[in-house]
Amino acid sequence: MTLTGFTAKSALRNRRRSLLTILSIAFSLLLLTLMMAVWRGFYLTKGTPAGARRLMVRNRTSLTFPLPAYYGQKIAAVPGVKAVAPALWFGGVYKNNKPQNFFAQIGTDPKTFFQVYPDYGIPPAQWAAWRRDRAGCVVDARLMAQHHWHLGQHLFIKGTIFPVTLQLTVDGVFHAPPGFEAIYFNQKYLQKAMPPLTSIAGMFYVLTDSSKNVSRVERTIDGMFQNSPAPTRSETERAFFLGFVNMLGNIKAFILAISLAVVFAILLVSANTMAMSIRERIREVAVLKTLGFTQRGVVGLFVGEAVAIALLGGILGTAGAAGLIAMGGQSPQGALLKAFTVTPGIVAAALLVAVVVGLVSAALPAWRAAQHSIVEGLRHAG
Amino acid sequence: MTTTAPFPAPAKTVAEPDIVEAEHIGKVFHRDSFEVVALEDVSLTIARGDFVALMGPSGSGKTTLLNMIAAVDRPTSGTMRVMGQDIYRLNDREAARWRNEKIGYIFQTFNLIPVLTAAENVELPLLLTRLSKGERREHVETALRLVGLQDRMGHLPKQLSGGQEQRVAIARAIVSDPAILLADEPTGDLDRQSAAEVLEIMTRLNQEFRKTVVMVTHDAHAAGYAHVTRHLEKGHLQA
Repeated sequence: MTLTGFTAKSALRNRRRSLLTILSIAFSLLLLTLMMAVWRGFYLTKGTPAGARRLMVRNRTSLTFPLPAYYGQKIAAVPGVKAVAPALWFGGVYKNNKPQNFFAQIGTDPKTFFQVYPDYGIPPAQWAAWRRDRAGCVVDARLMAQHHWHLGQHLFIKGTIFPVTLQLTVDGVFHAPPGFEAIYFNQKYLQKAMPPLTSIAGMFYVLTDSSKNVSRVERTIDGMFQNSPAPTRSETERAFFLGFVNMLGNIKAFILAISLAVVFAILLVSANTMAMSIRERIREVAVLKTLGFTQRGVVGLFVGEAVAIALLGGILGTAGAAGLIAMGGQSPQGALLKAFTVTPGIVAAALLVAVVVGLVSAALPAWRAAQHSIVEGLRHAG
Repeated sequence: MTTTAPFPAPAKTVAEPDIVEAEHIGKVFHRDSFEVVALEDVSLTIARGDFVALMGPSGSGKTTLLNMIAAVDRPTSGTMRVMGQDIYRLNDREAARWRNEKIGYIFQTFNLIPVLTAAENVELPLLLTRLSKGERREHVETALRLVGLQDRMGHLPKQLSGGQEQRVAIARAIVSDPAILLADEPTGDLDRQSAAEVLEIMTRLNQEFRKTVVMVTHDAHAAGYAHVTRHLEKGHLQA
């Protein structure tokens, strides 16, 4: 036996209580891990290098207001702009309104779309096929797998904003980052069915020649249309995405509040368990001290127990969170979860929280128990 | 009062200093607003290799005196040298280390750790030493063999009888080979047969292994195993 072995056996001496504590900590750390993954997904993920060079240009008033189509040519002429692609949200229904059948459908220009999104990695032959096919579309690989589509597959998408049913053929497959799953179709198909749409675009995707030029291009574009009937708002891909997130409310404050509540809850659970466990063992502490254990040694044993319990809970919790995100991402309802990842850094942070909780929860009761005189402790009836 | 036991003390080969030298030990406990005098001006010497029984009624200060010898309690006045060491000059940490190396303590209620096996309980004091795993194992086996429990090494305390638990506690007390064994009513919770076994073991440790034994007891029969019996009465050691 070693001191570590002794600590481990002591930690599990009241199995039911230890198990319940471990499960409580596991559940709390599962929540904390999810919160950290969401935080990372929303605020820390930098995206691809090409993403850092992209701008989203939309109507300053609101995303729901379109921009004149000719803005595309003007934007393309701005120094530092490498490619521009229009985008129009179609908002149709595939099969039915069930969540698993929801995905974004966006009309764009097949000639320039993959110039703006070179990182989406479509095979050149498929891109060429899409450019030739006015009724064609390209599909994200995850959507393709989820719906068991194949190249040449016909998709029927009934419009809800526009009174048109798209009859599209899958011409190609691309690989967007998680959370950006969509299908893109040739906007001319929609414009043919609804000629007034020829003169408008929902927004523009812009690729600059260098990430250093992004701010300058952004200012130039917005300055160019400042006094026009449809002023623009240009923002980086990341800022555009965060704009969507912020529509949900103050997500940062929400995540922080939940995380703090979770940490506080596990601290209470662990402190309660350790306080009970230590109070029951005042006599044992006296025996250990009689055998030669120092006060510091006794504190170390108890803190070790608390850390072991908290770490077990932490391992279960982080594993549970990683599993949940992985499984949820597979299910159609959990599409948003694909944007989140439990990275080794998040696991380490969650386990560090577990260790700190173990240390803090046991330190005071252990120190107080170790302070008891041996004589007092041996008289203790507990 | 001093009585002499039927078992003779092992003969000293050369003149050795006394193993315990207590001088004018006093101990006052403060309970709420009351002062309780547990020991008053107790002076006592115990020779190396002695088997001493401390007898007296409840509250006479027997266990307090035993705790003083073990350095688990400190007197209000007086000095105590054990194996030449002025033990009250040691700080808490040094005292803990000293107890680990020099003292074997046997409790009335055994006080084994319930989640550890007999062997692990015995090994506990050795975890604080620099002994290797193999050396610790060897010490544990020897100690358990000495108390006749070599076949119960893997048993948990709840799987042992009271007598066996106390024998494991004795093995734990001797596993670090201390010079002095202090026993606080070691047979108080045992039936006659088990008590006799425990006393036989302690006698053997005293006679064969020359351990100095100081035993607190109420039981005159148990005290009969000692070479010397000292009586305490209201905190005073009887002459």
